Amino acid sequence: MEKTLADCKIGDEVILSKIAERHLSIQLFSMGCLIGEKLTIERIAPFGDPIVISIEDSFISLRKADAMQMQVIKNGDL
Amino acid sequence: MIESTSQAWKAIDQETIRLILVGNPNSGKSTIFNSLTGLNQRVGNFPGVTVEKKIGYFKLFGKLKVEIVDLPGTYSLDPKSEDERITFDYLNDSNRSDKKEIIVVIADASNLKKNLLLTTQLIDLNHPTILVLNMMDIVDRNNVTIDVKGLEKELSIPIIPMNGRIGKGLSELKTSISQYEFKSNKKFIDAEKGADILENTINRYDKIKQVIAKTVKRSGVSKSTLITRKIDSILMHPVWGFAIFLFILFLIFQAIFSWSTYPMDWIENGFLVFGSFVSTVLPDGVINDLIVDGVLAGLGGIIVFIPQIALLFMFIAILEDSGYLARVSYLTDNLLKRFGLNGRSIIPLLGGAACAVPAIMSARTISNKKERLLTIFVTPLISCSARIPVYTLLIALVIPAEKQFFGFNLQGMVMMGLYLIGFFAALLTAVIMKFWIKSKERTNFIMELPIYRTPRWKNVGFTIINKVKVFLFEAGKIIIAVSIILWILSSYGPGDQMEQVELKYQNSEQTVNSEQLASEKLEVSYAGHLGKFMEPVIRPLGFDWKIGIAIITSFAAREVFVGTMATLYSVGDENNTASIKEKMERATHTVSGEKVYTKATAYSLLIFYAFALQCMATVAIVVKETGGWKWPIIQLLYMGLLAYFSSLLVYQLFS
Repeated sequence: MEKTLADCKIGDEVILSKIAERHLSIQLFSMGCLIGEKLTIERIAPFGDPIVISIEDSFISLRKADAMQMQVIKNGDL
Repeated sequence: MIESTSQAWKAIDQETIRLILVGNPNSGKSTIFNSLTGLNQRVGNFPGVTVEKKIGYFKLFGKLKVEIVDLPGTYSLDPKSEDERITFDYLNDSNRSDKKEIIVVIADASNLKKNLLLTTQLIDLNHPTILVLNMMDIVDRNNVTIDVKGLEKELSIPIIPMNGRIGKGLSELKTSISQYEFKSNKKFIDAEKGADILENTINRYDKIKQVIAKTVKRSGVSKSTLITRKIDSILMHPVWGFAIFLFILFLIFQAIFSWSTYPMDWIENGFLVFGSFVSTVLPDGVINDLIVDGVLAGLGGIIVFIPQIALLFMFIAILEDSGYLARVSYLTDNLLKRFGLNGRSIIPLLGGAACAVPAIMSARTISNKKERLLTIFVTPLISCSARIPVYTLLIALVIPAEKQFFGFNLQGMVMMGLYLIGFFAALLTAVIMKFWIKSKERTNFIMELPIYRTPRWKNVGFTIINKVKVFLFEAGKIIIAVSIILWILSSYGPGDQMEQVELKYQNSEQTVNSEQLASEKLEVSYAGHLGKFMEPVIRPLGFDWKIGIAIITSFAAREVFVGTMATLYSVGDENNTASIKEKMERATHTVSGEKVYTKATAYSLLIFYAFALQCMATVAIVVKETGGWKWPIIQLLYMGLLAYFSSLLVYQLFS
């Protein structure tokens, strides 16, 4: 089953497997958010939007709409 | 003699080097820029700002003159927003060949991987490059070690480890600049020109990961992220986060009002003493009147507000420098999204409380065109520092300073109320515009949240000094010009009307009341005629012809209001002993004898100044940022009508 970042809960650790949208890919890649990278869901704002993820030592905030474009694999499922 | 010196200067100029600072956002570029240049910087002006790159100068080892250009932060050489485009365009401008150029990449060494993306892109474009590994203190604290020599070998460019906050590594950077060998770079990756950006980025990261695996070792937990996580659990809390944000705003307004009282009193008294000193020293006559009543009155009226403006810029600089503003963007994105704006809009909106001009420029970080346009359109509705003088004066006229409301200064509360009114007007305007402007462009809110750091006091200090300098010189120029014109217009009248008034008083039997004489003379002056001409239109708002004159002069800039009032009420006040406030308190309508500044008039005028777009600099920047006259004209009309009808409503409610 395909799972996106938007389906995750606070504290989940996941691996980014695919970004559906090209522009979003370019932008996230340039910020160090790459395919195969381990992401941690740090925080979800009220009403589920926006969310904060951490990658290594940096924190990135993004909207649920963007998170829905990002396919992830649960860390344990590998 | 003069010629030889200018030639000597030319010779020095030819030797200059240009350093171009680039780097990711939050990599500490501005600290390094400030450390290198000191106050030797060229800062943007209010009117006609064309560039947002900062330029500064310093002497390398007392000899070589170096020019430094600080460009907006960017993650890559593929611009996604207007601010990144500025960096991109500057680096790609091949017309600049007057000086030898070195690009100094400032990298956050604690996030090396993504910082190397930009660095290696520059290397592959064959720019002469030095890499500064900034924030080495955080690298240490996070239990990470970087093999600088090894990295230097991999990248084949000079690398300088640095801790910009304490200036560690600055002299090594200077040495490296003075010994720089200009040669072709060794390519980091072999990419064909015009290759796909996405593929190129992936290939580049593959190589970067290999390099990092060889040179960066982690031996423990990352302490800086632990601390940041802890602070965020409070400051980004769904309930406490918002409460704290509102509380911070509230404290800022209280501080601006209460802390600044003392320095403001000193300045005001100083100007009164200085004014009467100048008027006794200078020979009596037109020049004396012009300088004391025109220029000094106008300038004094504005210099007195420097403490408040400095405080406001200080708070905004502290919030920004600590990393907190990015959290405010996160907190407000969901709300602002509903109004057609973006979490990033909060930075222009908050910055608008200082000055709309740089705030509108900072909207460049919003990549979606519609959201950016909406932000630019509504930002001038946020009360800026130029309204502070107007608000302070009018609030002080009708609300006693001692008055408290649940232990808080009531004047400060009214001031905060005006800011809130501006903020809600901005949101409502945005939501109306949202349905009016159509856009299919996708929107996002992707933003890095930097780790928390103590504000760098030097940066905060530089921001205050630069902003106050610009405020004084740019606003000062306009105010002196307007004051002189106004003094002429209010001291002379058409035909012999002025003489007739004087004659009338000379012939009258009553003891001459000099204030009444002055007031009647003003009424028949050119300025008086202009105000009288406007009076029928502004009468329903509770404004008299003197306020009419002030509204006209305020089109140059809002703060001119105070200077105008000072000049209008000074003409004829021979000893110039009373403050503007006292004079305005005493002002009465010539016909009815009622007080001019009643609560209704003052509130109506406050609302008028809160909403009207009375600022040439803002119009100019909107023309530039939106690329045409369409939006500024719509904005001018919209805000003018909003101001007029809101004031009408307020006046009718309170009178």
